[in-house]
Amino acid sequence: MPLIELDGVSHHYGVLRALHEVTFSVEPGAIGLIGQNGAGKSTLLKILLGLLQPSQGSGTVLGFDIRRQSRPLRSRIGFMPEAESLIPGVRGVDLVALAGELSGMPRRQALRRAHEVLSHLELDEARYRNCEDYSVGMKQRLKLAAALVHDPDLLLLDEPTAGLDPAGRDAMLRLLRAIATRHGKSLLLSTHLLGDIDRVCQQVIIVDRGSVLGVGRIEDLCQQRAGRFRLRWSGDAGGFLARLREDGATVALATSGDQAQVDVPDHWTTRQLFERSIDTNLVLQEVIPEEEDLQQVYRRLVLKN
Amino acid sequence: MVDNHPQRAVTTLDQAGYRPWTGTLRSPWWSVLAIVRVALGLIMRRWLFWGLLGLGLLNFLYHFSFIYLKATLVVQSRDFARFLDGFKLTGTGEAYMTFMHVQAGIAALLLAFAGSMLIGADTRHGGMIFYLSRSMDRKHYIIGKLLSIAAIVSLITTVPALILYIEYGVLSNSFDYFVENWTIARGILGFGLVLATVQSLLLFAVASWIPRTVPLAMTWLGIFVLLTALGRALREMAGDRRWMLLALWEDMLRIGHWAFGSLPENRIPTGTETAVVLVGVCLVSLALIVYRVKAVEVVR
Repeated sequence: MPLIELDGVSHHYGVLRALHEVTFSVEPGAIGLIGQNGAGKSTLLKILLGLLQPSQGSGTVLGFDIRRQSRPLRSRIGFMPEAESLIPGVRGVDLVALAGELSGMPRRQALRRAHEVLSHLELDEARYRNCEDYSVGMKQRLKLAAALVHDPDLLLLDEPTAGLDPAGRDAMLRLLRAIATRHGKSLLLSTHLLGDIDRVCQQVIIVDRGSVLGVGRIEDLCQQRAGRFRLRWSGDAGGFLARLREDGATVALATSGDQAQVDVPDHWTTRQLFERSIDTNLVLQEVIPEEEDLQQVYRRLVLKN
Repeated sequence: MVDNHPQRAVTTLDQAGYRPWTGTLRSPWWSVLAIVRVALGLIMRRWLFWGLLGLGLLNFLYHFSFIYLKATLVVQSRDFARFLDGFKLTGTGEAYMTFMHVQAGIAALLLAFAGSMLIGADTRHGGMIFYLSRSMDRKHYIIGKLLSIAAIVSLITTVPALILYIEYGVLSNSFDYFVENWTIARGILGFGLVLATVQSLLLFAVASWIPRTVPLAMTWLGIFVLLTALGRALREMAGDRRWMLLALWEDMLRIGHWAFGSLPENRIPTGTETAVVLVGVCLVSLALIVYRVKAVEVVR
């Protein structure tokens, strides 16, 4: 069963189009949701949480219909918002226990579970302090504890590393990775930091201006860029390179003179390159398809959009 | 809820720290109780509020001990009993009405400063999403917050008035006091209900739009003080007593008199007119609350 499956989901705020015909399906695991500010990430999160009814389209999260089963859906989801979303004057352990109670846990069990989760997130020494007295990193972990307390199957994390120093960010990412890998939780990590997604997630959803530009395993997306090759040859390649340019390829010659990076038209494979090398009497020593990293994939898709 | 996650496996590391929870989730209506409990806890942890609660408690103890003294000393000295009657603590509806009026003032003052913490923080610090991202609906959140405010008002006004009423009856020679004065119990509950309902809806509506403490306190007190002054001024200018309907505080008192059965029938504005105004205020407040708690406002 897919973790999230959306079919033609659109949402408008008045005349403003926030999401347009979003269709995708992702499997359980750690998933990154990346996009610039205003790309539609928050609207998508609201819809996945069942807090917002899409203007059109349908979908399921954990098998629950996002339109008709929003409350049972939220009982299986833990949400860590970007906003502070704490209650000033309430102690850490009471806040996490309250989160458990609001999720439907009986009071005693919620309190016991709050102690367990806070210990697991290394907040046990600060649990009796008022939450407004916590440092930024501790507040982030407290919000994570509140999201985890009822043992959800899916965690929606909105900018979990926002405001953290490098050490705190590193610790948070290690924690999220451990939650995803050791405890079998699925994560949807919404961020604008590609590095966070690279470190934690196996799948990614790229959104821009209300549309989903790419979905899938990060490895697959990076390999999908079949149109770029690195070539190395021996001899005079003038005729070969001129022929490539005539046929629509873009050639970037390396300073050494015997290598180039070539962007070929969509339907080309290595076959077209070898055919032209034979025609121009050139011996190609290397033809290596170039893989992109996530940043390049993101940039390419957004620029294309 | 049965735990059937396919990928979940308890490892040694899990046993040392994180453990899956397998239990049955309860109805979301239980979360309403949790919201009320936390709200009351927040009030009890502030010294400022303890000061105001102490003031209310002092007023209550004054009445409580006076009723006790009167009941025990009246047997010994008739003159002393007549002296005590001068304090109007006679066990009549008017006495309870006066007591609740003073207590309601203390409750309103407390709410002026507590509104920001109880309601305003949810819109200012994004606390609303803390509630709404759980397995509860907006109606549970709204009802929980309204009941929190109503509980604070009732604890200061209705509950002590009922205790005084019971004390007076118990210290009487027979239980005839309860039979003969059942309208007092109706009055206490009715007036208490009006105070709790109007103040909770009005405070929620105002605090969700004006979340900061000082502007909220000024607006809250302004609603009662300035509208009363405006109502009086317009009444004098236009010569129409119905302008006093603008004075929400006096409207609540009028309904209180209505509930106690002490509102003159030919008095303008009438009880019905006053009730219509208060119901209107409540409906407008509710509309503002629902609009504010819409999901669009939630995730920022």
